[in-house]
Amino acid sequence: MNIVEVENLTKIFSASGKSGAVKALDGVTLSVGEGTIFGLLGPNGAGKTTLVKILLGIVRPTSGNAKLLGEDVSHYKIKSRVGYLPENHKFPNFLTGEGVMKYFGELAGMKKSEIENRIDPLLSLVKMKKWKRTKIKSYSKGMMQRLGIAQALINNPDVIFLDEPTDGVDPIGRKEIRDILLKLKNEGKTIFLNSHLLSEIEMVCNSIAILNKGKLIREGTVEEITTTKEIYDFEIAEGSATDILAKFGTAYSLVAKGNAAFSGKFDDVDRLNSFIDSMRGAGVLIKSVVPKKVSLEDMFISVIEDSEGGKNE
Amino acid sequence: MNNVWTISKLTFREAFSRKIFLFFAGISTFLLLVFLAVFLFTDVAALFGSVKINGKELSGSNPAVAAIKLFILNPLYGFGLFLAIFSSASFIPHMLEKGNIDLLLSKPISRRQLILGKFFGGVAVVFVNVFYLVFGLWLMIGYGLGDWSVDFLLASLVITFVFALLYSLMILLGIVSRSSVLAMMISYLVFLILSPVLSSREIISTFLNSEIFSAVMNFFYYVVPQTSDLGSILNSIALGNPIESYSPIIVSLAFIVAAIEFSVFVFSKKDY
Ligand SMILES: Nc1ncnc2c1ncn2[C@@H]1O[C@H](COP(=O)(O)OP(=O)(O)OP(=O)(O)O)[C@@H](O)[C@H]1O
Ligand SMILES: [Mg+2]
Repeated sequence: MNIVEVENLTKIFSASGKSGAVKALDGVTLSVGEGTIFGLLGPNGAGKTTLVKILLGIVRPTSGNAKLLGEDVSHYKIKSRVGYLPENHKFPNFLTGEGVMKYFGELAGMKKSEIENRIDPLLSLVKMKKWKRTKIKSYSKGMMQRLGIAQALINNPDVIFLDEPTDGVDPIGRKEIRDILLKLKNEGKTIFLNSHLLSEIEMVCNSIAILNKGKLIREGTVEEITTTKEIYDFEIAEGSATDILAKFGTAYSLVAKGNAAFSGKFDDVDRLNSFIDSMRGAGVLIKSVVPKKVSLEDMFISVIEDSEGGKNE
Repeated sequence: MNNVWTISKLTFREAFSRKIFLFFAGISTFLLLVFLAVFLFTDVAALFGSVKINGKELSGSNPAVAAIKLFILNPLYGFGLFLAIFSSASFIPHMLEKGNIDLLLSKPISRRQLILGKFFGGVAVVFVNVFYLVFGLWLMIGYGLGDWSVDFLLASLVITFVFALLYSLMILLGIVSRSSVLAMMISYLVFLILSPVLSSREIISTFLNSEIFSAVMNFFYYVVPQTSDLGSILNSIALGNPIESYSPIIVSLAFIVAAIEFSVFVFSKKDY
């Protein structure tokens, strides 16, 4: 079953005060399957938070459909199975860490005894147990973030929305949070992650989508998105790369990568194959042809630039 | 229903933790001490020209005791509501703060339940405080004048009801504007100026002699919370006298329901 299902979702924030109307989401369609860690990427103002807020009933959609756990997002009761860490959350500052957990447990409709049983394990999980009885007023940013994650898990949710969960957390803490996410995934939970920390997303997410200016511009597994279709790396067993470059370099814009390796850019598979045919015709023994992998960051930047470029034309 | 109860409880606890309670109770205690001083150091009964006090012979129907109670009730009504409005004006704006409202709305609680919970929670906070004040005064009247008629305690219910009326308006203003200052100012405006003026609209009309003006005044009389008329009802109830007209109570109930329903409607449409 798909945990999140969004169809042609559009959100226009109506003009208020000086600012005009903003199209925060523009016909977005996507789905998130059960048990995945889904990463939603995009530059600032892309509409990531807006999408999550619509799924949680905090923002009302202008048009389109949004379903969470198989129910329309206007059904508030399903939210007993949901955990949420908002960006820049603000807990009642007169509470202690333990108090925050109780407070949100009660709001989630849990029984007192259930809440009590979950507080300690969860606070240990995020390494905050020793601050349990300290007022959150004196917490650092990273501590608040850890508590925020624990709070999002209080009701043992099936799906967890985390908006920039590692914001303000040190590198060790980030690693710990990644481990927590993987652990939750192994328990069969679905995680919806908003982030612009691409290396992190790359490490934990099975499935990602890129949003820019309210439009979904890419969707797929990390594998799919980071493999470019146009650039291929070649290795040859016999023959010399210099010879090949001299022969075909200009026709196929090849770049040398040592004695027996080079890469080339091909607009489509036909062109790739005719290049291979020519090489074979010239007696070259090919060892491997591999589509080039780029880092998610490089891909992200080029995808965003492409979509911006497309708009300007 | 369960959710409304949870939100009420949390609102109550929040008022406690934010020291709103302490503030309210502190001023109430101060007020009680002032009255206690008046009772101790002046011959209150004599002040109101009564015959010698002999405890049990006095009763609510005794004009002297009735005068004393009235003398207490009016400042009590004014002060009590002034404090109540002051203490509760931030309830809704606090709830709507960025980072907080997102979390509340992400819980399995409907927006209607949130508003109702805030309403009943706030009313409970004020009731407890007002009851403390009224109960203290009742004890003083009892010990000082030997009058133990429980009608006086009903004042706490009436004051709480008037608060509920103004609070429903503050909730609406809070949802629309997110500003506790605005909610507070409009409530004070209604309570201190508009309602007293509108409730004496007939007297004013005789001076102005304009039918349109009277009609306008009449319209506003029914639309603006009738806190002045409820103040008169408070006096009747607390003295054990019959109530002259129930109309302000019914109009106020209708106002509360309408204001809360409208708040729910506006709240449901908003993005946070
Ligand atoms: N409540 C609101 N009222 C009006 N405009 C809003 C509101 N919330 C968001 N927006 C606008 O919608 C657009 C998308 O904002 P959103 O917060 O969804 O972006 P984001 O992708 O989460 O960005 P970031 O990475 O900075 O968190 C922005 O232009 C923002 O100004
Ligand atoms: Mg955001």
